[in-house]
Amino acid sequence: MFIENPLNTSAWTFPILEVLHISGFAIAIGTVALVDFRLLGLGLREQTAGQLTKDTSAATLISLSVALFSGLLLYSTDPDKFYLNVSFLFKITCLLLAIVFHYTIHRRVVLADSSPALGRLVAVVSIALWVGVVFGGIFIEFVKPGLGFD
Amino acid sequence: MLLSLAIWLQNTGLFRFLRESDHGYEILLALHVSSIALFAATVVMTDLRLLGWALRGHSMQSIIDQMRVPKRIGFLCVATFGFLMFGIKAEEYYYNIFFRTKVVLFLLVAVHALIFRPRVYNRAAAHAGVKLAAGCSLVLWLAIVCAGRGIGYIHPPVFSHHFAMHADYQTPTGLK
Repeated sequence: MFIENPLNTSAWTFPILEVLHISGFAIAIGTVALVDFRLLGLGLREQTAGQLTKDTSAATLISLSVALFSGLLLYSTDPDKFYLNVSFLFKITCLLLAIVFHYTIHRRVVLADSSPALGRLVAVVSIALWVGVVFGGIFIEFVKPGLGFD
Repeated sequence: MLLSLAIWLQNTGLFRFLRESDHGYEILLALHVSSIALFAATVVMTDLRLLGWALRGHSMQSIIDQMRVPKRIGFLCVATFGFLMFGIKAEEYYYNIFFRTKVVLFLLVAVHALIFRPRVYNRAAAHAGVKLAAGCSLVLWLAIVCAGRGIGYIHPPVFSHHFAMHADYQTPTGLK
């Protein structure tokens, strides 16, 4: 039996979810970026990267949860459009890598106050993965539908 | 006057080049949104500290002072990419109600800075108005995100002959 997704019955749900999604990932990625820039020796020099990540991890987790749940709801409004979209698949790959990287390697290196070179490497990988997520998300609207690269 | 300025802007060489490039607008949009992440984190963490909801192990002044440089760098990036996007579709955006709303909200941000910077952000030990300043700031920036996203939802009709003010110039193909 076909069941209408209640999210598709109002013109306002999608834009409102989008704003929640944007605000969520902006704060999540931004707080991670603050730690990454500290690892690169930029900004917020009064704390170590380890102290900074302890101070911001709650904000990161809460806003990441908002972004993930609003993202799932956005996805549910038109799954066919998204899972057959090259940019979306690129985004989700980057997202999974970014989350796993953030809560394993990134976290360990930051909390252990490892060598500056290792810290810089981890920071660059982290920023690249998260920016990859943003680029993948933006380009969903601009690539041709389907999995062909054309 | 503003309209002719917008039309002049979008017909300058830089913006003609960006408009006709393959993915210029989309790449600028992605860079704009990436920079928003950095800028938003500095704004939100500062305001959450002023509200007393985060970073309570540090003094307000320490957080405000330390966030100032990354906040300015973030804003510079967001504003630069945003301006380049505006220039590509300046005439269309002139008519876009969400864009106009966003401009008004930026004027309110300037008013917020004029009121609260000398009284709160430059001396956070003075407690009066601290939470009001942080709350207003969060509401304003959230409204700017809403207005910014709204811009992409509507496409006012533009008078495409304005693109061809220069005799040597063909109607652009890149305008979506």
